[in-house]
Amino acid sequence: MRYKEYNTNRVLEQAIRLFWQNSFMGCSINTLVEKTGVNRFSLYHEFENKEGILYASLKLYKERYCNRKFDILKEEGDIQKVLKKFYLSFLQNDDIIPGCYFIHIGTELADSDEKIKGILEEYLLEMEELFVDILNRNEYPNEESVTISKHLVGLFCTSTSFCLIHSESQRDQYIENGINVIFGTNG
Amino acid sequence: MARVLSATYDELVEKAQRVFWLNGYKGISAKELSEELGVSSSTIYTKYPKEMLFMDSLDYYTSTYSDPFLKGLRESTEGIKSLQEFFYALIEALLDRTFPKSCLMVNTIVEMRVENQDIIQKYHSYISKLSDSYKVVLRKAHKLGQIKDENRIDAYAEFLLGMIFSLSIFYKIQDKSELKKYVDEQLKLID
Repeated sequence: MRYKEYNTNRVLEQAIRLFWQNSFMGCSINTLVEKTGVNRFSLYHEFENKEGILYASLKLYKERYCNRKFDILKEEGDIQKVLKKFYLSFLQNDDIIPGCYFIHIGTELADSDEKIKGILEEYLLEMEELFVDILNRNEYPNEESVTISKHLVGLFCTSTSFCLIHSESQRDQYIENGINVIFGTNG
Repeated sequence: MARVLSATYDELVEKAQRVFWLNGYKGISAKELSEELGVSSSTIYTKYPKEMLFMDSLDYYTSTYSDPFLKGLRESTEGIKSLQEFFYALIEALLDRTFPKSCLMVNTIVEMRVENQDIIQKYHSYISKLSDSYKVVLRKAHKLGQIKDENRIDAYAEFLLGMIFSLSIFYKIQDKSELKKYVDEQLKLID
């Protein structure tokens, strides 16, 4: 299996960074070949086309980077603190580019690519369900949990777009204010 | 920055703005841009560089789409109800493609993040205009008795800044009634 001589995930790690930094449309297959050192034939053999690489890269991003951030929502403790920690985990500079790859790719492509639209929808729905769970665990009535969760997803979209241009203290304050308004707690 | 204020250049900016709105900045090469604009690629490489067209596109966008919208909002008289109408109008524009793809400023923040200081300057003035307009309406809402605590106005204005960002994602995956419900619920949080 000659085409498996390279490591699939290593290629996808590169793809995440390239599509994120250069945008999907701004990153040619030639750039991928150059940066991964894997030839075009092998890339196409494994992923079919550039879109195939994109879909697989989103999946890897979810597994490697998001799942452990999503796990924060399962932690015990003051719910507002847990939520803040969750939002901020996407903005830290430590493991990968600050922000969210799903929001980035969704912003660029969800209007024109049905599959990306579905992937974005599914991703935000999973998050929404985790919000409902944490609210239920904190004894919010179910109906209220469902409503609040939608607005917590809204705050996620905002914190992974608007907050990208914030300083650390601005984003801290913005997210805290957002949580306070959603929960009706005045700071 | 030196500007070339010929009619031709203005027309190019108007066209370029639409091209960037749909493709982003990095999503289109200088050569492709020249093809879309119907000018020679040397025009883009030497006379009107892509970055200059992009910067002026952002200004064109705010002065054409955003400023009149915000002026109407500041002049409105019904407080929270005026905000609701404002966001409903935004939903319409997103769905009927008056805004062909999301909001250009939002797209640009997501795409360019902190890579370009000139762009960050533009965001800051855009965001402060937005925030000031919200505050004007929220103060009216307070006078109308729709907001109890005047001291919360700044916090609410900051919260509402998020609306264009969340709607810019949600319109891609939700229908009109869900979007309107989202707006209504957000406004209910302001009391």
